[in-house]
Amino acid sequence: MTVYESDLPGVGKKFEIEIDDEQRLVIVTHNTGKREVFLKASEGADSEKLFELPDRLARTVGTILEGAYFQPVQSEQVETMLAEGTFLEWYNVDDGAEIAGQTLADARVRERTGVSVAAIERAGSVVPSPQADTVIEVGDTLVVIGSQEDLQEFDALVSNDAANSE
Amino acid sequence: MVSEVALFELGVLFAAVALVGGIANYLRQSVIPFYIGAGILLGPYVVGRLTPYALEATEFVELGAELGIVFLLFFLGLEFNLNRLLANRSRIGKAGTVDLVVNFGGGLILGFVLFRAILPAFLVAGIVYISSSAIITKSLIDLGWIANDEAEPMLGTLVYEDLVIAVYLVVASALLLGGGDIGAAVQSIGLALGVILLLLIVVWFGTPFFERVLDADSHEFIVLRAVGITVLTAGAALALGVSEAVAAFFIGMAFSSTEHVEQLERLLEPIRDLFAAIFFVWIGLVTDPLVFAGVLTLILIAVVLTVPTKLISGYFGGRIYNLNIRQSTRVGLGMTTRGEFSLIIATLALSGAGTTLTEPVAQTIYAFAVGYVLVMSIVGTMLMQYSTPIEAAVVSRLSGFFSDSSAKTD
Repeated sequence: MTVYESDLPGVGKKFEIEIDDEQRLVIVTHNTGKREVFLKASEGADSEKLFELPDRLARTVGTILEGAYFQPVQSEQVETMLAEGTFLEWYNVDDGAEIAGQTLADARVRERTGVSVAAIERAGSVVPSPQADTVIEVGDTLVVIGSQEDLQEFDALVSNDAANSE
Repeated sequence: MVSEVALFELGVLFAAVALVGGIANYLRQSVIPFYIGAGILLGPYVVGRLTPYALEATEFVELGAELGIVFLLFFLGLEFNLNRLLANRSRIGKAGTVDLVVNFGGGLILGFVLFRAILPAFLVAGIVYISSSAIITKSLIDLGWIANDEAEPMLGTLVYEDLVIAVYLVVASALLLGGGDIGAAVQSIGLALGVILLLLIVVWFGTPFFERVLDADSHEFIVLRAVGITVLTAGAALALGVSEAVAAFFIGMAFSSTEHVEQLERLLEPIRDLFAAIFFVWIGLVTDPLVFAGVLTLILIAVVLTVPTKLISGYFGGRIYNLNIRQSTRVGLGMTTRGEFSLIIATLALSGAGTTLTEPVAQTIYAFAVGYVLVMSIVGTMLMQYSTPIEAAVVSRLSGFFSDSSAKTD
């Protein structure tokens, strides 16, 4: 995986990325901030333009590609970023999850991971602002708020440890 | 105040530029020949001959054209990066030197055969040597060639040409403005070199100063300060008898090493485009299309000779960059477009009319340059757009001579 960088005087910079033995992805970053993305079938071939993006959108797409734009849930819930770095997420409580069967107080979710449980969806209805004595059951969907790192820690509590390796 | 129709006339000029620019864009052609054409049509020699109404090259338009030259060269300096050139110097140097020897050399011979004198030959050489950075770069982006391997030798050669043209303009303006005899020419070249040296010192030591001056938090102040410094320096140079274009180039270069270079490019680009458009229209306004009749043969000879010179030098430039036959052919096709700088040299030729050049020779060179650019800007753009069949023909011809693998091993 080599990245070739070259200057385009008066235009900007060009990056060529080998994606497999033959194909190359070519990204032209204009001085204006515009990014153009091309695909080359092979080293000497002509580039075929795939799309172009303005500066801001290109950065957003870049963070998604980088995996820093954490959005693992179903696609209908894509707009779950409440503010920079704070996410609203839905988690299913798996069979065999660590906190299944415990009350919220016993599970000590907030102390252990930093996320807050905002609501519980159960059998088609929603329990808003669940109390400390609400029991978490297998099959519940917990609606939680937290930072990306906190959510990753929380994920371990609601998923089946045996299934974690998948 | 000016006469009550002056503003209206200026409005007609801008509206015409906007209109023909849109047409050029729709036809996927370069805007430059269209702006010149609009100037010719609306000027005193076409509309003016048929009706009592015509646009005149007023003092404002003339100054605007002057600013167009200043900003075109200022941007050349702004985007000129010496470090970048030095990092790639061996390949850019080789490809650029081939380009210089073939085209400037060819132009010298052509000019000497046509005019039988050194100075006109020198001017013709400049006019046919310098490719159009503006048109070629835009075509590269529009056609998507920018991501291909052939973009590098093309852009690299353009950088080399820009450096040559900065030096060329110093020498040419000194020769033209220096009066008739050798002594005066030497003196004016001396003065020019003195001013250039001064500007280089400014570039070298002025960066921290420019850095501070341009560090304003509002766009308004940045633009005003950059324009103020640039136009003041260019004007002072012109008053001293040195090319204002060269002074603007050096100021651009001084700004290019500051932190603000990208911001300046973004903010000043519309200003450059506006005044460059006025420059092209002005060229049209002062050009009588009837003079083309007298220089038609000259233009035809130049076109027939200088399309192939660029094709050949571009092809070898591509080979220097280890490109294959097809890509190298493309480099040649792309480099044929001539444009704004040839016109700047043409206006320079006019400045020598009656002193270092005889009036008819200056007028002939000027008319030749305008006609030549009109043809070459269109021909060059077309060659790029319809490159596929030409590439195929060249590949099938040349494959017999060289095998493609030879390019990979040298």
